[in-house]
Amino acid sequence: MNLKKRLATALLYFLLTIMLILFMVPVYGAIVTAFKTATEVAAGGYWTVPTSLALENFARVMDPEAGNLGLYLGNSLLLTIPASFFSISLGTLAGYGLGKYNFKGDGLLFILIVAGMFLPPQIALIPVFRLMNDIGLYDTLWAVIIIHTAFGIPICTLVMRNFFQVVPKALREAALIDGANEYSIFFRIMLPLTLPALAVLATLQFTWIWNDFLWPFILTQKAESRTVMVGILNLTGQYTVDWGGQAAASLIGSLPTLFIFVFFQRYFIRGLTLGAVKG
Amino acid sequence: MLRRHPWIIPASFLALPLLVYFTFVILPTMNSLYYSFTDWSGYGADFNFVGAANFEKIFSDRLFSNAIKNTAIWLALAMTAPTLLGLALALALQGKRKVNTIYKSLFYLPICLSPVIIGIIWVWLYSPKLGIVNLFLRSIGLEDLAIAWLARPNTALIAVFVAWSWQQTGLNMVIFLAGLTSVPAPLVEAAKVDGANYWQTLVKVIIPMLRPATVVVLALTAINALKSFEVIWVMTKGGPFNNSDTLAVFMYSEAFRKLKLGYGSSAAVILFLMTLVIIVLYFRQVAKSDELYE
Repeated sequence: MNLKKRLATALLYFLLTIMLILFMVPVYGAIVTAFKTATEVAAGGYWTVPTSLALENFARVMDPEAGNLGLYLGNSLLLTIPASFFSISLGTLAGYGLGKYNFKGDGLLFILIVAGMFLPPQIALIPVFRLMNDIGLYDTLWAVIIIHTAFGIPICTLVMRNFFQVVPKALREAALIDGANEYSIFFRIMLPLTLPALAVLATLQFTWIWNDFLWPFILTQKAESRTVMVGILNLTGQYTVDWGGQAAASLIGSLPTLFIFVFFQRYFIRGLTLGAVKG
Repeated sequence: MLRRHPWIIPASFLALPLLVYFTFVILPTMNSLYYSFTDWSGYGADFNFVGAANFEKIFSDRLFSNAIKNTAIWLALAMTAPTLLGLALALALQGKRKVNTIYKSLFYLPICLSPVIIGIIWVWLYSPKLGIVNLFLRSIGLEDLAIAWLARPNTALIAVFVAWSWQQTGLNMVIFLAGLTSVPAPLVEAAKVDGANYWQTLVKVIIPMLRPATVVVLALTAINALKSFEVIWVMTKGGPFNNSDTLAVFMYSEAFRKLKLGYGSSAAVILFLMTLVIIVLYFRQVAKSDELYE
């Protein structure tokens, strides 16, 4: 490498590092504030490194008598796991039906389903609110589970259909000749092959549903059915000046998705970029 | 039997997902259209069909035109700043250096945070006395700039937008990075051999080859911008004096705070029609580039 090129590279990484530091300021702020005691905050401000690792903020937000975050975390799990499971299951069925069979109108049906991916939730907010009231599911986690299942079908169908399309035709034909029926082919041959695609969808669906605020905000009210994001926002209303508590709650609420970020990043990114390469 | 009805097998796979999808996605969408022509106000209340009255009213509603103006500003900013920044980061970090992996990971970290949490954190950053934005401005002597960003009518929308972009930039970077992997390296090499410098290669070779990724980024950004509600709601609730009130916030306020559900539906329909334009443009672009590659 010549000198000019080296200088350019050094300048590039200098700029990137400044950008990265700016980018990480919010994360840094949340972490240091969460581990600081109220007295330390009062004495030294919010942005210094804490002198000791205080856990009182975490204890306060988890305390059933105070923040009660434990209940909301539990609710979010009870929502996110079934909603992810159902949306992926339904998407797998639809993706198989569209990816492995040709029938009249299959292209149109596919577009109709995939277009749902881009639908703003606002268009369905009021009717779903009414529907859930009418069928008696308003203010239950089931309302949110059902709606996330339904709104997850487009992305899950898209991923699974694309996946099944590239599974060699010969595999199904050979099994048919061996006397297997269509359903045993699906369950015994195709499903085991889909594991990587299922992992992609599991990370995506878990993250979106866990982080979602709008649907549980509209469809639930009482504390017993409150999800973690609604609960955290409620906390900030109750303790407006308690930054330590807010920061601790934010960290706890982000742990599951940060876990995915650390351990399943590859799958998550693959999910995010679907369609980006081929259009 | 099965041979005579070839659609029975795909139908058996598709029936359940389609039932759920139509009941809870398509049907509610249609119902919104219906409610937008009613005077429904309050759950449980009776309502009447009022024709286009809501739409006539909404176009002379000062709050609505304010929301449209803010949405237009938001959309224009979204299509430029986080898109260009995402592209710049992707170009800078596309190499195979080990250190790039760490940079990329950290730039995309905000994607896995909830917009609620992003809003909460950024409220502290903008805190007038103790927020790091103002602490920094004061420390470099820009005392006059250290204002209450979220409480001032002329800065609230931009301040919230910056918080929102924090997440959108990383997402755009990830999509551009994926797009860059499909730019054939020999093509870039050939341009270099022909004596093109980096900027010429970028403009003449890389950017045109990135077209599919760019279409995805622009469509996703526009749709995310139109429907973004959480960050704004958490940080300003559309205030002060509706200065950060976008169409999504307006729709929520009318429908669920003022309980004007019919009127709110007409706002939702307008928001939907705006995204529909983007969806149609997007699918047409995708169809076009598919033809190109075939």
